[in-house]
Amino acid sequence: MNVEEFRSGVRAWLDEHDLSPGHDGSFAGEVAQLARVRRALFDAGWMRYGWPEEIGGLGGPAVLRAVLGEEVTTRELADPGIYSMVEVLAPTMLAYAPKRLAAEMVPRLLDGSEQWCQGFSEPGSGSDLASLTTRALPRGDDWVVSGQKVWTSLAQFASRCVLLARTAPGHDGITAFFLDMDTPGITVRPLRTMHGREEFCEVFLDDVVVPGDRILGRPGDGWRLAMDLLPHERSTCFWHRIAHLYTRLDRLTAETSSADDGALGAAFLALHTIRCRSHATQRRLADGAKLGPETSVDKVLLATAEQRLFDTARDLLPGVLELDESPWRSEFLYSRAATIYGGTAEIQRNIIARRLLGLGRE
Amino acid sequence: MTVDTTELELLAETLRKTMTSLSGTGLDEVLTGLGWAELLTEARDVAISTVFSLLGETGAHAPLINDVVLTAAGGEAGGTVTLPYAGGAWVRWERTNQPGAALDPELPLHHADEGERVPLAEGRRALGWWLVGTARAMLELARAHALDRVQFGKPIASFQAVRHRLAETLVAIEGAEATLVAAGDELGSLLAKAAAGQAALTAARHCQQVLGGIGFTAEHELHRHVRRALVLDGLLGSARELTREAGTVLRENGRAPRLVEL
Ligand SMILES: Cc1cc2nc3c(=O)[nH]c(=O)nc-3n(C[C@H](O)[C@H](O)[C@H](O)COP(=O)(O)OP(=O)(O)OC[C@H]3O[C@@H](n4cnc5c(N)ncnc54)[C@H](O)[C@@H]3O)c2cc1C
Repeated sequence: MNVEEFRSGVRAWLDEHDLSPGHDGSFAGEVAQLARVRRALFDAGWMRYGWPEEIGGLGGPAVLRAVLGEEVTTRELADPGIYSMVEVLAPTMLAYAPKRLAAEMVPRLLDGSEQWCQGFSEPGSGSDLASLTTRALPRGDDWVVSGQKVWTSLAQFASRCVLLARTAPGHDGITAFFLDMDTPGITVRPLRTMHGREEFCEVFLDDVVVPGDRILGRPGDGWRLAMDLLPHERSTCFWHRIAHLYTRLDRLTAETSSADDGALGAAFLALHTIRCRSHATQRRLADGAKLGPETSVDKVLLATAEQRLFDTARDLLPGVLELDESPWRSEFLYSRAATIYGGTAEIQRNIIARRLLGLGRE
Repeated sequence: MTVDTTELELLAETLRKTMTSLSGTGLDEVLTGLGWAELLTEARDVAISTVFSLLGETGAHAPLINDVVLTAAGGEAGGTVTLPYAGGAWVRWERTNQPGAALDPELPLHHADEGERVPLAEGRRALGWWLVGTARAMLELARAHALDRVQFGKPIASFQAVRHRLAETLVAIEGAEATLVAAGDELGSLLAKAAAGQAALTAARHCQQVLGGIGFTAEHELHRHVRRALVLDGLLGSARELTREAGTVLRENGRAPRLVEL
């Protein structure tokens, strides 16, 4: 199936099948809607394209997933942030999980029957992820995990967690585990965010027993796993987010009565720029390139474009997000996180300076 | 004539060498000898991106924008055409070495009476490639300086404020280049020229700062690129004007066109 056939097939199918959200706008409603959309798209086959057969896919190039996500996002069927989490989790499982585990678990993620989360950040380890201290000690064939994670998106809804823990000192001492969230010893506490949604949580781990066959890769592969995940995040996920931001630019264009075409044009230019850049990145990926530190450029362009768009919305819809309950308010506030999550704006610039410009150490 | 990649690389190498020693009419003649007019007909997009980015990277100049605009309008290469400039001005880029009063004194750019409307998309793309090349030249100068210059006992490249300015410059350049690669139609070309102008102005600001006092002298090369960037930005519409125009298109259209598709 080529991209054109796929796109027109998806469009025709979505025209026939109404998956519009009917929820109350709460985060729980959002998550339920996501599960519903996934289930329907999986059953119809669309969600399975671009994934290999061993995890329940129907094969075909990965770019089909970007096309599907663009349609879902453009039609506002699901929140793009949580919709895209699969793009990070499933490839990680494919690359690192034992084959049987991947074959058993990934279909549950794709078909919407489960949500998963990613437990990397800790109270003491944000940008400096490699300093993480949640520890896993061997006991017989099992591992016993203790520590704390924070900012874990979707943890309160998640059945599984891809978790990083320390099994030895240094970068090589980080190990990734695939954890069942109903294991005794796990406590999840949702955190309220400034945009009013309980999107992420604190996760406390108190002598949590993880079977030895739930290691992703081998002991010590955790850091490499974390690094390998970035290219996934920065190809397909970015395309989804860009599609979402275009819908907001459309909405702003329709709603504003301001004639400040300079501001509107600047928001459009920034968004067009990351769309072109991301397009080139997807193409390189499709040609078999291994993505690396150059995707930090994509990340900076995207985060900058997102914040500019919502700053422009605030400027061109004066008073709207300050005085009235409207979706602009929470989305504007959420855009403030764009330069924090997925590696902060400063960390991206550090990477660009060191790895792309060859400026040596700080 | 079909141009394959190795041929193109060879040509680019030859051009790069030529451009480091020749500019203006001298370079114009050599390019004519190398078949610039045929290249423009037969391998238009690569010819434009290769030649114009090399002009930027080497700091050379030649009156080639005339050829791009003339041939886009169905005419022949080799003449001159009156071109719109920022602020409603009009200019001619003469095929002589006689400098005008432009901020970049090397360029034979002169005020002109209002000219005819000509298609601008391809000319904007060409200038976009030139601006991106100029920006890369500035970044390279600043990068080399940052690694070389020692203060407080270390290379200034080790200071995060310096590093982030250079990183910011690279981001702007790479983004602009992506818009150029993707540009096909009128609006795409307009946006690409705007992105390229913005990238060159960003590069000028950050690189000048990183170079410190030496970057302010006429003895260091930077000022030539800064002048060029400022002048080229205005030709066929400045980043600021084109961005506003893009906003107008958006408002009239009622929706943001998705110009590239997977
Ligand atoms: C909405 C949201 C969702 C998230 N979801 C998840 C998730 O699902 N799973 C997960 O594991 N994590 C998640 N995170 C966490 C995210 O990855 C971290 O917030 C991020 O890595 C930054 O860490 P920190 O918050 O501890 O900030 P810090 O690292 O403490 O940084 C604070 C400030 O210092 C700056 N800084 C730090 N180091 C340097 C340096 N070397 N040079 C220059 N400046 C520096 C930073 O740029 C930042 O401005 C999420 C975060 C957000 C906001």
